[in-house]
Amino acid sequence: MSWKLFTLLVQAAGATALFSAVAVAAGIVLGLLVSGAVLSHAKPLSAAARLYVSFFRGVPLLVQLLLVYHLLPVLGLNVSSATAAIIALTLCTAAYQAENLRGAFLSVPRGLIEAAEMVGMTPWQRFVRIEAPIALRLAIPALLNEAVAILHASALISVVGVIELTKTARDLAASTLEPLPLYATAGLIYLVMNTVLVQGGRFAERRYKVRAA
Amino acid sequence: MNFDFNLVAGYLPAIGWAALTTIGLWIVALAASIVIGLAIAVARLHGGLLVEAALRLVVEAIRGTPFLIQLFLLYFGGPFVGLTMERLPAGLLALSVFGGCYMSEVFRTGIRAVPRGHIEAAECVGLDRWQILRRILLPEMMVLVLPAGTNIAVGLIKETAVLSVIGVPELTAVISGIGSETYAFVEALTLLSLCYWALVEICARLGRLAEQRLSLYRFAA
Amino acid sequence: MTASTAIPAAQIEGLDKEFGSVRVLDRINLTIPAGRVTCLIGPSGSGKSTLLRCLAMLEEPSAGIITIGGRPLGYAMENGKRVKLTPARNREVHSQIGMVFQQFNLWPHMTALGNVSEALTTVRGMSKAQAKEIAMLKLTEVGLAHRCDYYPAQLSGGQQQRVAIARALALEPKLMLFDEPTSSLDPELTGEVLNVMRKLAEAGMSMVVVSHEIGFVASVASKVAFLDQGRILLDGTPQEVFAKPRHPRLAQFLDTYLDREAVMLA
Repeated sequence: MSWKLFTLLVQAAGATALFSAVAVAAGIVLGLLVSGAVLSHAKPLSAAARLYVSFFRGVPLLVQLLLVYHLLPVLGLNVSSATAAIIALTLCTAAYQAENLRGAFLSVPRGLIEAAEMVGMTPWQRFVRIEAPIALRLAIPALLNEAVAILHASALISVVGVIELTKTARDLAASTLEPLPLYATAGLIYLVMNTVLVQGGRFAERRYKVRAA
Repeated sequence: MNFDFNLVAGYLPAIGWAALTTIGLWIVALAASIVIGLAIAVARLHGGLLVEAALRLVVEAIRGTPFLIQLFLLYFGGPFVGLTMERLPAGLLALSVFGGCYMSEVFRTGIRAVPRGHIEAAECVGLDRWQILRRILLPEMMVLVLPAGTNIAVGLIKETAVLSVIGVPELTAVISGIGSETYAFVEALTLLSLCYWALVEICARLGRLAEQRLSLYRFAA
Repeated sequence: MTASTAIPAAQIEGLDKEFGSVRVLDRINLTIPAGRVTCLIGPSGSGKSTLLRCLAMLEEPSAGIITIGGRPLGYAMENGKRVKLTPARNREVHSQIGMVFQQFNLWPHMTALGNVSEALTTVRGMSKAQAKEIAMLKLTEVGLAHRCDYYPAQLSGGQQQRVAIARALALEPKLMLFDEPTSSLDPELTGEVLNVMRKLAEAGMSMVVVSHEIGFVASVASKVAFLDQGRILLDGTPQEVFAKPRHPRLAQFLDTYLDREAVMLA
């Protein structure tokens, strides 16, 4: 395994990290909105949101990826495969995060919300200033698990031609005819990224933990 | 946009076989995952430090990397270490090992969750280690691990789609293939999505049903 | 005690509250005088907390009218009919009320200062500097200025409750509601909270307090209402209510809640 090949893989890992990070961040934001919709009292909104969650958790990511990739041009949106991939990843992870956040929102003690009502906050203000920040903190372990899942799932975007770690490994394996060292190294790099993410998550958990007062 | 399902209807036999392949793959991989997972969990519990360390390494590696990479490693890299496999068996093996490692974690948590007192009671009435495992530990643990186990089972349905990348003729490969032939990508992929959605819903429902039935045997802590 | 001719801090007329088929409050009529402390006492399940929460608009009464400082809250009588008020009309009246909860309910992701200043910035639209100034003032009043940067998890129960009081006071309410403010506290910590409440009363704040601290009630309240099974059985000054011979239900209730200060009443 030459040094040159290794550096190419590491560079590609940077792309993987970037795509994953964007999808995780966007997914949490979208997931927040979707879980808010699921928990809202507006029946049609709640039903639509639950349908969304059910669909994106029930269909394999690969299929979602292909669907988004082919659907966007039909809808008139001609974006790069990378953009399409990120959109698909985001839509998928948002559904899982919405489930995680739904549980977290239901765990926010009722009294804290009543206190916010008593100081005169509107429902939107209560959501943004009190419920969401607390729910996010309660959900950190689950959100982290999902982030790890996204890191792994990002490998699938190679199927629609996005240049990242798996695609690079695959291309190099094809040209050098040495799949074993290349995929093994790629796997190791994923493992390293995985470990970094998990450790970072544990740190975040400690730092932002909402301790029961 | 033209939603012409008639176009796709003509391919029904091929789709039927693909669906059977997917379901077949899933069932076999699930069964294998449970067996492998149990074996790993028990081995880590009773096998001594070396076995524990080695298995831990394997499980961490499998759980810490994408399934696609594992699949590529086995199918493309396998021949270089003397492991040449056809695509379907390779996919099945990769899926089973993948599922097995996740299952092993669930089983390990489950085994630890069985109250120590139950084991001690079994020891007191004279059961030996293997009997305790078979008659007390594992049955109790099965009930505890059902929710997490169902999650993994559902996850496996979705992972079968990844096998399409190495050309296994399951649902995703066949239907997206139809999509390319007919250029009716969106219709084909929508149908594909609905197929999986249905499979996943059914599996999830069965899981919940099983949970309800077995809740009678749960230890009321 | 001369009857106050000023507008009462609150007026409750014909209040009923049902939870499903259970009638928790039954034909409650109560005047909360301005500038004084009114205490609601009674056994568990008597409805006193529910009554307080109706005043706070955290529960909706099934019947009856509540007015705060002469203005209706939640429902109003218009043309002889009981009409539900819009949120806009309620907002102004509701902002006159501050509430302190049994569980403190401080927001755990904000410091003490953050908790107190939050509504000032978010609801009242003040600048951060302005809000901080007022918040520090209120924290000083409750004796916790030196803990302004602490998170609720780093504060004792008594300190948290005092911060909660400061938080409510920051909005300059005309009426303060206290729902069993010391019931969740260790006995050594109740004193610091009761002292803050005493100071508040001396400064002339209209207060309604649900409490089991009979000693505090006897010494600070101008008016006491004894509730039992959703009805007000007794209401008057502490001297009138606690006078012997006692109402049998009250005697039964006091037997269960004798504390150090109330031994003198036994």
